[in-house]
Amino acid sequence: MGSEKLNNGRDLTVQDGIRKSRLERNQYTISLMNEGLRAGLLKSREMISIQNTFMQILQELIKKYTRGESTSVTTETAESLLASIMYASDAYLFSLEEPEKAITCLKTVDVRQIYERGVEKVSQCLEESKQLYKEITANKLEVPVDAYNMTIDESLPVFLRKYGIIFDAHNTMASIDYPLAVDDMRLQGVFYMKQYLERLKLETEFCAIFDQRELLDLLVHYGRECRLNYRIELFNIYELVLNNAIFSVLSGGDADEIRIFESQYQRLEQQFMSLTEPQIRSVIGGAMGKLQQELPIHPQLKEYMDRCKEELVQRVANAAKQNSLRAVIITERGARAKSIVIFFNEEDRMSDVELRRRLDEITACERKEDKVQLILSSFHSFHDLLDMLESDCLYGDEYDALFHAFGDMELAILAKIVFYEELRSESLDLPSILLLKNEYKMDWQMQFVRCLQGMSRERMQAAWKYMNEMDYEQMKFY
Amino acid sequence: MYLARIFNSLNISMQEHYMNELLELNEKTKEYGLVLTPQDVELMMAARNEVLHSYGRVELSIEVTKVLIEVFSASSFIQQENYADTLNELHEVFYDLKNETEDRISDMKLIHRMKEMFEEDCEGSLGLLKSKLEEYAEEFRRELQKNESLSLLEGEEDDWDLKN
Repeated sequence: MGSEKLNNGRDLTVQDGIRKSRLERNQYTISLMNEGLRAGLLKSREMISIQNTFMQILQELIKKYTRGESTSVTTETAESLLASIMYASDAYLFSLEEPEKAITCLKTVDVRQIYERGVEKVSQCLEESKQLYKEITANKLEVPVDAYNMTIDESLPVFLRKYGIIFDAHNTMASIDYPLAVDDMRLQGVFYMKQYLERLKLETEFCAIFDQRELLDLLVHYGRECRLNYRIELFNIYELVLNNAIFSVLSGGDADEIRIFESQYQRLEQQFMSLTEPQIRSVIGGAMGKLQQELPIHPQLKEYMDRCKEELVQRVANAAKQNSLRAVIITERGARAKSIVIFFNEEDRMSDVELRRRLDEITACERKEDKVQLILSSFHSFHDLLDMLESDCLYGDEYDALFHAFGDMELAILAKIVFYEELRSESLDLPSILLLKNEYKMDWQMQFVRCLQGMSRERMQAAWKYMNEMDYEQMKFY
Repeated sequence: MYLARIFNSLNISMQEHYMNELLELNEKTKEYGLVLTPQDVELMMAARNEVLHSYGRVELSIEVTKVLIEVFSASSFIQQENYADTLNELHEVFYDLKNETEDRISDMKLIHRMKEMFEEDCEGSLGLLKSKLEEYAEEFRRELQKNESLSLLEGEEDDWDLKN
């Protein structure tokens, strides 16, 4: 007993009283009642009376929900409504901060009042979230990252508009794709969303400190280094920026710099390879401190930055061990700057009507040679070409004829698209990717793989050479 | 299901009250020659709870049972010997229909629709009533789906402009 008390000393708020560790934020009222009963602060008679009042509130809410037109609902609906009631009650009781205060409140205040005050809290939280959202949109970063843009432009407004304070408060119905650097999924409903928005605002504020041109370049270098199309990937921009700012400070650059040149990278690599994990923690901590001093960082942002430190320490320590620091320290590499420049003009795209007409013409052609000829002469945009391939207007060996008629560059572009996942692994080249015999979603992709497998070694090598020199950055159509 | 049990236990205190309310209806149904004994009512409540449980529904009151009795007792197809059994079946038909029409139709409207079909299309056959109502629910859901996809196409009203 004695040792248990010692070990769990921090969990005890009052000796033999409420144990905070047994309380759950998501089920606060229920866990509080159970804990209150266990600690003798709540009598079972009181517990039953509280439960009965919640049930009466539920009965009234069901009537409201059915607008008095039905006296019964499905069990799922009743459960969901009860969850919404408990969410409001949790909101109020949790706001009292001290669990003992919350228990006293449950014993002395009418449960209906607790519920009403909770609803007010939820509603207030929704209003604050709307305000935060407006601030975020006003300072939104201009970055071509789909998840970031879609989350801010589409998902968040849908949530804020449709959130149901009374009937659906516990629900977090939103397709929020953009990942935060530090997320807490234990929260639900509008409290989760407010926290998400607060953090997104901090992250956006931080990123806005740096030169936006450099930020865009950083994204490009990140995509290049990690061999991915950063536009469609789910990653956190703030983390990328913060990490590079830290690396800049550590390699003699300024705190407001996020560009890392090759010479700086060499320095950092040498440094990290020779340090132990505690040493890495110490130098990163030092650099973080410098950033916090030299940049306009307010206390909230400082605290958020500190929470990201350990993650970076672990990443750097692991990467140093595995000799993969290039994926962590995003560097501007001069040699790669000469990669192929491909122009894909939006203006070259056909109108939908024109595309449909061309597709009909292709389908109407009887000989495969004519089809190939028609495609080569009338499609000038890769975007249209992909639409054509995805429309399934070719069959069997017609694909083969078309792919054989393509130049090495076209093959390389298609291969970059089809083998997107495989190419993220640096160890695979084109012949070894083809040996994987992976399955692909679309017919044209399968036909493309089959066609490549039958091509000569020289052609494959020529295509591979182009693939290596090509960035997803240039393939904006994809 | 846990919730349904809590509701039922809350209603236990009301059981006697419910019994009396239902037995009082005998005064009205007597004129059609239909009467429920206290045992009939007890069995009917047990059967109703069973139905609610198996159809996954939570019921707040006795209102539906009362209306079913009042509306259907006027039917010339119901006789004293099949009265209690018919009421039990009607409960099942009703709660099934609530589920099948996705809670989109009010209790009153559903009960009157049931009565109308029972009298006119089915001439008192419960078996026929079930299959007719199945068709009715299917048609209702089809319409519902059509309307929902239409409103999706038209786009939803934006009553709160976030950009302001």
